[in-house]
Amino acid sequence: MDSPEPSSIEDIFDSTLNLEETHLKEGYKEGYADGLVSGKEEGRQVGLKTGFEVGEELGFYRGCVDMWNSAIGVDPTCFSSRVMRTIKQMDDLLRKYPIEDPEDESVSEIMDSLRLKFRAICATLNVKLEYNGYPKVSDAEKNEF
Amino acid sequence: MSLEGESFELREIQRLEGHTDRVWSVAWKPSTGVDGVPAVLASCSGDKTVRIWEKSPSTGSFQCKAVLDETHTRTVRSCAWSPSGKNIATASFDATTAIWENVGDEYECVSTLEGHENEVKSVSWNASGSLLATCGRDKSVWIWEVLPGNEFECVSVLQGHTQDVKMVQWHPHVDILFSCSYDNSIKVWLEDGDDDWHCVQTLTEANNGHTSTVWALSFNASGDKMVTCSDDLSLKIWGVDVMNTKSGEGYAPWKHICSISGYHDRTIFSVDWSSEGIIATGAADDAIRLFVENKDNLVDEPMYKLLLKKDKAHEMDVNSVQWSPEGDKLLASASDDGTIKIWELVSV
Repeated sequence: MDSPEPSSIEDIFDSTLNLEETHLKEGYKEGYADGLVSGKEEGRQVGLKTGFEVGEELGFYRGCVDMWNSAIGVDPTCFSSRVMRTIKQMDDLLRKYPIEDPEDESVSEIMDSLRLKFRAICATLNVKLEYNGYPKVSDAEKNEF
Repeated sequence: MSLEGESFELREIQRLEGHTDRVWSVAWKPSTGVDGVPAVLASCSGDKTVRIWEKSPSTGSFQCKAVLDETHTRTVRSCAWSPSGKNIATASFDATTAIWENVGDEYECVSTLEGHENEVKSVSWNASGSLLATCGRDKSVWIWEVLPGNEFECVSVLQGHTQDVKMVQWHPHVDILFSCSYDNSIKVWLEDGDDDWHCVQTLTEANNGHTSTVWALSFNASGDKMVTCSDDLSLKIWGVDVMNTKSGEGYAPWKHICSISGYHDRTIFSVDWSSEGIIATGAADDAIRLFVENKDNLVDEPMYKLLLKKDKAHEMDVNSVQWSPEGDKLLASASDDGTIKIWELVSV
């Protein structure tokens, strides 16, 4: 910029002229820092909730598979070969599920597969097994607060 | 039947009344209407019942022989005869599929298949009658194996469609399953030889497929062509190299052959390809249309042409059209107006 004013005057007014911009920048910085803290906490809460839900669903299937396996142990002919094979597949999927690594891309695929196989077994056995899960957010809030 | 140089008419033979709500679907019983066996038709309705109609050998008119009721608690959306004609499967909005056995003039509910989360929309038997497929609003497709003693075992629950699945249909000769959906696609399902079923092909807009809900599909007699109908007002013809559809030789993909558009101005709900090559459609404009392959073989000519259009075939939407197994002679149609009509294709 080829401004005619001497540089000393520019320096004097510089901070005044840029007052708004300076405040904006500071505000953004503070907000960003605060956001990091609260966002992290929020993410932690969501993670806890989601992790809990995944855990209880996996646990429910684990329990069903263990129960069915026990039944097979008592009477190896209690289920058809197709149902036995599907129980085995669920067992394998439950063992394979990367509980310690939520970012593993196979998690949703394994969970979908578990749900479908569970529905197939229940339909063939003609049973209605349903786990409603831990009391949902609305109920839980009532209890906690 | 030669269709060249003749004009045709769809003549109403009989109007079947009895359902007290819209009629959703009709199904001709296999191996009836030939060799002296009177033709038998099943219809299902929003009145929660299925009616069995039989053609009287003496008068030649259809009479209601049985009402299958007190089993489904909501609309019966679809019905299908097993290839032997011994059983009929009915899919209902009450989330169940019922299996009925025909003993003499009686029909008894011998099994109820539960598994879908909500409305079951369609049911289909494979060619040998050993497998049954169902689909519904929960976006899933189910395959059941028919075991002795009216037992049914769930073979597989298939998820792939992203919306309501409107119809399932087995290929007429080989155990390949087709499904079509509100997600505008047609999916092809095949067993991998180890009791596991997978989607091997999805026909979408990217394959010159439909741009709106695919309502129904039907195969030609040889099974190397398929027609699909849609809310996008078009029919599409798909083809496959039939030699490769035999099991164990790998999967041959289906390819778009042509689209039949410009003839419908409302949703096409139903399509049925007769054993003699006539494609019938039932649509929301209350009309029935018939199409045949264009044999002129001229380069710029469309591959299929309109044989006739029957305006005001019903007073309301035509939900289902179905050719009788005896050939082109009879066409049954079902409508929101609560009636079923029997039509004969005659040359004039």
